[in-house]
Amino acid sequence: MSETDIKLGYFDQPKTKKMLWRLLWAVCILSLLLEFFVHRKNHFDMENFFGFYGVLGFIACSVSILVAKAMGLFLKKEEDYYDDDK
Amino acid sequence: MTMINNLPPGLILILGAFLVPLLSGKAKNWYVIALPLLTFWHISQLDMAASLVLNLADFQLETLRVDKWSKAFGYIFTLSGFAAFLYGYYEKRSTQFVSALLYIGSSLMVVFAKDIITLYIFWELMAISSVYLILGSKTQKSYQASFRYVMVHIFGGLVLLAGIILTIHQTGSISFEAFDPDMATLGTWLILIGFLVNAAALPFSSWLPDAYPEATVMGGVILSAYTSKTAVYVLIRGFAGWDILILLGCAMSLYGIVYALLENDMRRILAFSIINQVGFMVCAVGIGTPLALNGAMAHAFCCIIYIGLLWMSAGAVLYRTGKSKCTDLGGLYNTMPWTLVFGCVGAMAISAVPLTSGFTSKTIIIAEAANSHMFWAWLALEIASAGVFLHAGIKFPYFVFFAKDKGLRPPEAPKSMLAGMAFLSFFCIYLGMFPERLYNILPDAELVKQAMPYTFYDIYVHHFAHVVTQIQLLAFSALVFFLFLPMLKRTNTIALDFDWFYRKGFGVIHLMIDTGFNGLNKWTNRTIALGLTAKLSAYFKDGPARLCMIALKPVWELSGAKIDGPDGMETRFLKKFRTAYFSVGSTAIFTLVLFLVFCFFFY
Repeated sequence: MSETDIKLGYFDQPKTKKMLWRLLWAVCILSLLLEFFVHRKNHFDMENFFGFYGVLGFIACSVSILVAKAMGLFLKKEEDYYDDDK
Repeated sequence: MTMINNLPPGLILILGAFLVPLLSGKAKNWYVIALPLLTFWHISQLDMAASLVLNLADFQLETLRVDKWSKAFGYIFTLSGFAAFLYGYYEKRSTQFVSALLYIGSSLMVVFAKDIITLYIFWELMAISSVYLILGSKTQKSYQASFRYVMVHIFGGLVLLAGIILTIHQTGSISFEAFDPDMATLGTWLILIGFLVNAAALPFSSWLPDAYPEATVMGGVILSAYTSKTAVYVLIRGFAGWDILILLGCAMSLYGIVYALLENDMRRILAFSIINQVGFMVCAVGIGTPLALNGAMAHAFCCIIYIGLLWMSAGAVLYRTGKSKCTDLGGLYNTMPWTLVFGCVGAMAISAVPLTSGFTSKTIIIAEAANSHMFWAWLALEIASAGVFLHAGIKFPYFVFFAKDKGLRPPEAPKSMLAGMAFLSFFCIYLGMFPERLYNILPDAELVKQAMPYTFYDIYVHHFAHVVTQIQLLAFSALVFFLFLPMLKRTNTIALDFDWFYRKGFGVIHLMIDTGFNGLNKWTNRTIALGLTAKLSAYFKDGPARLCMIALKPVWELSGAKIDGPDGMETRFLKKFRTAYFSVGSTAIFTLVLFLVFCFFFY
């Protein structure tokens, strides 16, 4: 066990990974909390919702991944798909 | 002196390219590093009134138009060339340098061209000269991809040429000025399509992710900057305010994201992010207000820097490992930390993380979409901003440098590569903190500085609310990436794109043409070439002999000679006729008989 621990690079250690996860959650929550302290001019009504940009980022990215995944079912081909052309 | 004052900047690089083969060793590298710097200096010295008119047939070609637009593009094109050649210090092949210099020089000629014929000539030269940057990889794949690359650009060039001829015919002018969307003719539309092919707009987008990832390491870095940004430049000049560009730009920025998510090859991921970024600029050109156009310019400037940086980082990985697929890479942070750091600076800049250049340039475009009350365009661009962080900002560094450690332990990139990356990284961060320098070279600098915060304090303290919303957008995008990570596991696959239509679709057409025309060909061959001709040939060859044989056969039969078989009279006789080998005696008898027959009939 200790032998594999030595081999693992810094970013591959479970401890680092855990720390990075916590950091990510912390940044997300902090960015939401900061919204209480700032005032912004908005162009559209949608922007007035609390945490609008966080929600937008979350939804936009998950939908992109799901769409890509769904398109992948039709569009993904093996690496050599075009190789029999010539 | 006046000649030098009126020298189109592109010519320095184009003429300079011819000296490259004469130099050897590292002198060659230093020479090509110095050339873009010289050109940069020349552009900075160019007078706004400078012009160079050449006569071609009935046309007066005005090859030099100096204004703030052309100067700004000239600056970034030469800076990026300098960085690329510094990065390419390892390269020894003259063909690569000549090709790159001709390519960059031609793109500068396009930028500074005042008339559309000069523009067209160098537009084509760009496509032709850049092919060697792809062919230089010397792989079967790069050979085929460069063939398709040339074909697509020949198509785009011909459409452009048709448009130019129609427009010159209608207006009688060869000057390249803004086209009015309300007065659009077929010629104008064809010119627009020709430009859009180079901008990699849908549906002419797939040549870019098809060809660029097959290029050489330095070639990829250079290609990533010029073709699409030159197209953005001519769109700004010619097609500002054309509504269709808003739609196209949004579609490009979203298309780039979805395809980049499907992709396995790291340089192809970055190729899709070029389309995504050019989408922002095309959309801004479509919005067409002065602020949007300046935003497109600023974004093109920053985009050339950070996209180049990303391609450098990926190129360094390819150079050291020889691998380009995410499925083969991973864990490189162990031995290539500097490449990782510079790659991450590029990744953050493209994602418009605060304190980087993307944040100060992309914001202009998105803010102007909101100011113009274009809700859908604004929403699409915000979504695309989140998505670009997903694929270029996190996916690229994560799968290449982290993810599963594949046990690769290549050495760090060569120092010259690191120097090129450091140079561009500096600009990514500097322009993110102090964008005033960039805003000052924009054509409407005052307008931009009125509308946008431009000092460090103003951006990051006074307008802190925008920083917060941007961090929110990005942090939650990152969260999605890591939550969905199991769904993003790379597979060794490719995704079908528009190029299917000419790679496989043409196959179907080819098959139809093959069976159709070759079938006709075979039938003709059978009936005419082999059938009719053979019969005619046999007739002319053996006809007279067979006529004679009608008379001779009874004689042979009476004399009891052997007629059939290989040594029979018939075969011997035919052979005699074919070789025209007759003994003197038989010829004399034949002549005498013929003479008697003649006399019998006529006397």
